[in-house]
Amino acid sequence: MFAPADARTPATEAGGPRQPSAFRHYRHLTLELAVTQFKLRYTKSALGYAWSLLKPAMLFGITYVIFVDLFHVEDGTPDYGIQLLLGIVTWTFFAECTAASMQAIAGSGGLIRKAYFPRSILVIAASLSSVFTFLINLTLVALIAVLLHQIDFGLRMLVVIPLLVELYFLVLGISLFLSALFVQYHDVGHIWEVLMQLLFYGSGVMFSLTYVLQRAGLAHRPGTAPTAPHFLWAAQLLAANPIMQIIEDLRHALVTPVAPWTASVVTGHLVALGQTHPLHASLLLPVPFLLVLLIFAGGALTFRSRARTFAEDL
Amino acid sequence: MSDALPAIRVENLSKRFRIRLDRSSSLKHRLTHWRSASRYRILEALHEVSFEVPTGQFIGIIGHNGSGKSTLLKILSRIYRPDDGRVAINGKVSPFLELGVGFNPELTARENVFLSGAILGLSRPELHRRFAEIIGFAELESFVDHKLKNFSSGMELRLAFALAIQAHAEVLLMDEVLAVGDAGFQQKCFDTFARYKKEGRTVVLVTHGLDAVNMYCDRALLLDHGRLAGDGPAPDITARYRRAMGAAVDSSHLNLEVVDRWGSRDVVVTGIEMQDERGVEDRNPLTGGFVRMEVGYLIQNDSVNEFNCVLRVSRQDGMVMWEASAPVTRYAAIGESQRGTTGTIRYDVPRLPLLDGSYTVTVELGERRSGSAFDHLEGAVPFRVIDRGSRHGLLDPGGSWTFMEST
Repeated sequence: MFAPADARTPATEAGGPRQPSAFRHYRHLTLELAVTQFKLRYTKSALGYAWSLLKPAMLFGITYVIFVDLFHVEDGTPDYGIQLLLGIVTWTFFAECTAASMQAIAGSGGLIRKAYFPRSILVIAASLSSVFTFLINLTLVALIAVLLHQIDFGLRMLVVIPLLVELYFLVLGISLFLSALFVQYHDVGHIWEVLMQLLFYGSGVMFSLTYVLQRAGLAHRPGTAPTAPHFLWAAQLLAANPIMQIIEDLRHALVTPVAPWTASVVTGHLVALGQTHPLHASLLLPVPFLLVLLIFAGGALTFRSRARTFAEDL
Repeated sequence: MSDALPAIRVENLSKRFRIRLDRSSSLKHRLTHWRSASRYRILEALHEVSFEVPTGQFIGIIGHNGSGKSTLLKILSRIYRPDDGRVAINGKVSPFLELGVGFNPELTARENVFLSGAILGLSRPELHRRFAEIIGFAELESFVDHKLKNFSSGMELRLAFALAIQAHAEVLLMDEVLAVGDAGFQQKCFDTFARYKKEGRTVVLVTHGLDAVNMYCDRALLLDHGRLAGDGPAPDITARYRRAMGAAVDSSHLNLEVVDRWGSRDVVVTGIEMQDERGVEDRNPLTGGFVRMEVGYLIQNDSVNEFNCVLRVSRQDGMVMWEASAPVTRYAAIGESQRGTTGTIRYDVPRLPLLDGSYTVTVELGERRSGSAFDHLEGAVPFRVIDRGSRHGLLDPGGSWTFMEST
């Protein structure tokens, strides 16, 4: 993906038939590296791969007990359990994938110092095993929803695909950025850990946007003044967060249309709001998508400029 | 082969490394010292190196540790980027330099073949097709599904080599592949080199094994502190490197003007003298005069009780005039350690046949059977022959004239 543009002869560059073969080779290498990491990750545990399915299930159990039985967060949110599970599965993918990919470059010093290939392959390969687990988990969530009769089939389900693409670009952009910086500054590991804690609560894993608006005293009474304005601000911030938007839209697309699209929450409730100017609220709509683009471009550019010296820095 | 394009063209290649002096590479340091540029020392690993390698050539790169050999190889393979200059390679380059790159001890032999093979650029169907061949060559048929960590280093090496020779690359870069492995393994390497040579592939070999360079390389490059110090036929360049290495060996006690010296030093030369018939040192013998060479030696190793002494007389341009050699076997029968024994060897030439010119004597004490050097002093005694008769040619064979008149 980021082939260096250094001094090559025209002979190598103009090698017309060579380009696709190089692409095939790098695709093959990416898969081979991903499969290896996948094998190695679970090689020394008794339950092996089952852990990647058990972990979100356990997190779900804990969160469910705390937020439903203790804090009653589910109030007014339809099919709260399945929505929570979907949020947790998505979040687990985001957290594990970025954390694992961050080490992709720093942990492959031997390979980088001794063999040439586009360095981004290592980051992509590191993300693939998380992607694989995520897809399995997502299928399991859908199956559980079917069993609980909480799933509503429809054409809107196709939107899951662009949503997953959006999520992958977001994760890959962050991974490229973090893995490139991690080579020289291990501090980013700690910073990212703290930031993820913040993001966990800021991404609606265990609540929906509608819930926040309810707390603001708005959801069911559009046009009235919010009883708790700070929740309104929180809702606006949340609506700008791409992870929140992806989780919300996955809920709508994959499970139940009762959970609204992020866009309809923003336009429907925020715009209908007396205090917020309609134009102002709809400006929020493209923000998550623009952020994803920005993060991906920033990550890719940072990675490209730093990749030149990985072999020397490691 | 008739391709006019060189396989490798390197122009004014320079590479500098920044060695950070402040070890801390933390963000805190960056933030607190953001005004002051990072303190570092610049190490020039390569300085304006230029050369071309025609397609199909076997080229050896030699030089002391830190001379830039591996850096050069890493730039050729695109692992490092050059700071200045251009590198152009015509053809597919092998993407890795050492054996077994990408091998993971937790994976089985089979899994490692597929992973490392992918790095090497082999496709999956291709690896499937050649898998039996690779395992067979490595002689690991019964260990295919064993984890690599349970392999001996020899087994791992055989697997790595069996895989590496499957690469399709037209330009192969090899870093010290010969430094490891036993004699049998090295023979396999050499057989493979011979095959590459036949196939017209271009090979760049970085090694400390000067004999291998002499045997397999058409040409050698000598690097010295990042600069190209020599480029030419392999034997010339390796000899020059040996001389340069020898110069670093202490030979001050010898009181000789030009000493290029190498060898294992199991037996060392303690002195060399060129004498006239009175036993007086004389570096300006006369044509037809008496010349005696005296070589002092010291045995430094318990296990040595015989060796060869070789004297070689060469003209200034390197042409060998003659070589005389004799075994020193007088200690062999004694059968006890001769460590510390000293002695003197004399070689007499009753009538020096050389005409006017400058010559040198090279002295070597060596192993009797293998011929490997204990102590080699290249061009140790330079001397000048004076011919009173100012005759043409090289030699005075000492012929005599007879004149007979027919009546």
